[in-house]
Amino acid sequence: MIRTVGLRKEFRTRRATTTAVAGLTLEIPRGRVTGLLGLNGAGKTTTIKILATLLRPTAGTVLVDDLDPLRDAGAVRRRINLIAGGERMVYARMTGRENLWYFGRLYDVPGAVLRPRVAELLELVGLSAAADTRVERYSRGMTQRLSIARGLINDPAYLLLDEPTLGLDAPIARDLRRVVARLAAEGTGVLLTSHYLAEVEELCQHVYVIAGGHHLTAGSPAELTARAGCHRSVRVTVTGAGPEVAAAVESLAADLGAAAVLDRAADGSLVASLSHPGEIAGPLAMAVVGAGGTLAGLEVAEPTLEDAILALNDRAGMVSA
Amino acid sequence: MITLRPHEKLLYRATPRRAAAGRRTRRPAGQALRHAGRVFAAEALKQHRRSFGSKLVVFSMLIWPVMQLAATYYTVRPLAATPGIAERWPLAADPGLLLAFLATGTLGFTFFFSLVQSAWHFSFERVTGTLELLFLSPADRLVIVVANGFGALVQNAWLFTCFMIAAFTVLDVVHVAHPAMYAVVFLALLVPAIAWGAFLNSVLIFSRDSAFLYTLLDDPMWFAAGVRLPLFALPGWIRAAGSVLPLTGSLVVVRGALLSGQTAGELAPELAALAGLSALLFAAAVLALRLGEANAQRTGRLRLF
Repeated sequence: MIRTVGLRKEFRTRRATTTAVAGLTLEIPRGRVTGLLGLNGAGKTTTIKILATLLRPTAGTVLVDDLDPLRDAGAVRRRINLIAGGERMVYARMTGRENLWYFGRLYDVPGAVLRPRVAELLELVGLSAAADTRVERYSRGMTQRLSIARGLINDPAYLLLDEPTLGLDAPIARDLRRVVARLAAEGTGVLLTSHYLAEVEELCQHVYVIAGGHHLTAGSPAELTARAGCHRSVRVTVTGAGPEVAAAVESLAADLGAAAVLDRAADGSLVASLSHPGEIAGPLAMAVVGAGGTLAGLEVAEPTLEDAILALNDRAGMVSA
Repeated sequence: MITLRPHEKLLYRATPRRAAAGRRTRRPAGQALRHAGRVFAAEALKQHRRSFGSKLVVFSMLIWPVMQLAATYYTVRPLAATPGIAERWPLAADPGLLLAFLATGTLGFTFFFSLVQSAWHFSFERVTGTLELLFLSPADRLVIVVANGFGALVQNAWLFTCFMIAAFTVLDVVHVAHPAMYAVVFLALLVPAIAWGAFLNSVLIFSRDSAFLYTLLDDPMWFAAGVRLPLFALPGWIRAAGSVLPLTGSLVVVRGALLSGQTAGELAPELAALAGLSALLFAAAVLALRLGEANAQRTGRLRLF
């Protein structure tokens, strides 16, 4: 497991000190995809780089399988790898196969293991046909897929993913998500940062939310959504609705303290939308029917993780540009 | 597209995991050596791909140094007509020996300047983002910079070295005291050059605005190291500046062994000085790597360019 306690990182210049991470305590166990969410400048990439040994924390502790990244950097580096989205980070004059072979050598992967692993990874990212083509002839998506394969070359126990699907086509991003889920199921500990919150919602069993380097909250995506108090939206379409139906809806909204929006559709139907953290679809339907209306449609929109993150950030008063 | 094969174990999951350890881990020397060998092989491939983008590379590997040698020879050749030159610089009076003197200088310069070029290219890894990946890996940093320099040296210098060996054989100007002196000559070029490359790589990968070094170590090194003129012909302050360049010591040994027939015993002071300077360069490389990486970890500057 990767554990951090009171992790802090300051960047000092002659003029100012910037605190990128301020006292983060995280746990990234094996076999789970852990999310790290926050708006721009929240400290996500800095945290990932500390875990990857590329940055040294100003204070706090980091342990990777009980190893100290400062004292046991070599052993820690053998256990982890980092994939950052939207970046080349491979050698353009070498072929895809040669790139993977090169990085495999840096990670001290024995030749007998490396050869089949390179072939396997090239197949995994769909580059087998282009394995012996120079990377300078790859498209951006192909280069990004090669970077993903590079991140797996040492069979890492922990995979740090910093916006891994940035710039990828939707089908490739979807397949990468499947690979990540599969790796976690096989025992890899994954830390994921992504601006695509649907991706986080799909993959992460546990999410840390940070803002301005501070820990805001943590939990499963469902827990975070509930904790943020985000509103469900219920929208009913009522035919043959008289003024009684509108009055009943407004009365219910007033009783619940919910916001109600009433409108008329082109065919004269009444469209009523209510927004509330609780389960209000049932009471609303009953109120409509009780007032003599006929329900022609009912839609419930559950709050998303994105709603929750925005609400949590707003609440913390730390929304950044 | 990324393909998945359900219910099939991925090969890259095949390596057994090591149990968590609560103490500092240290790898056996054999493993570390094997790893170093793998890094050398990897860097050799990288340098090969970087250098051999097209067949025109033969120009920089052979044609260019030969042209440099020819230009230098015909510049210095008129010195032979200077009265009393045979007493002050006997080599200059003999066209064959003068050519051999300049050829050894050009060969040595090719060795050392190829490492300046390689270090300059290495600094571009910061721009492409691959430098951060090198520091993400568990590979020993000193091994990386040494392997990078060694790879560059082999790729860039082999053709001109072969040409020089052939030329010396044809001209019949080389007379060594013992065949083993060829090994001494080879090592006197190779070891300081590798140390020089390791030092430059270590400094340049952490330095963002180091292009001036490329210029500084081109013509000035050619001049101050005694490539085209003997050291005694240079002003004292240039000799002093040249003495910190390992190329200077290498050329003294190479010329002493190949052109003057000196033995290892006679060259012992120069060899000792060269060994000391090489050790100093390796130590400076280690220090630069430690300080540079620690600074990069503090400031996050490894990605800035």
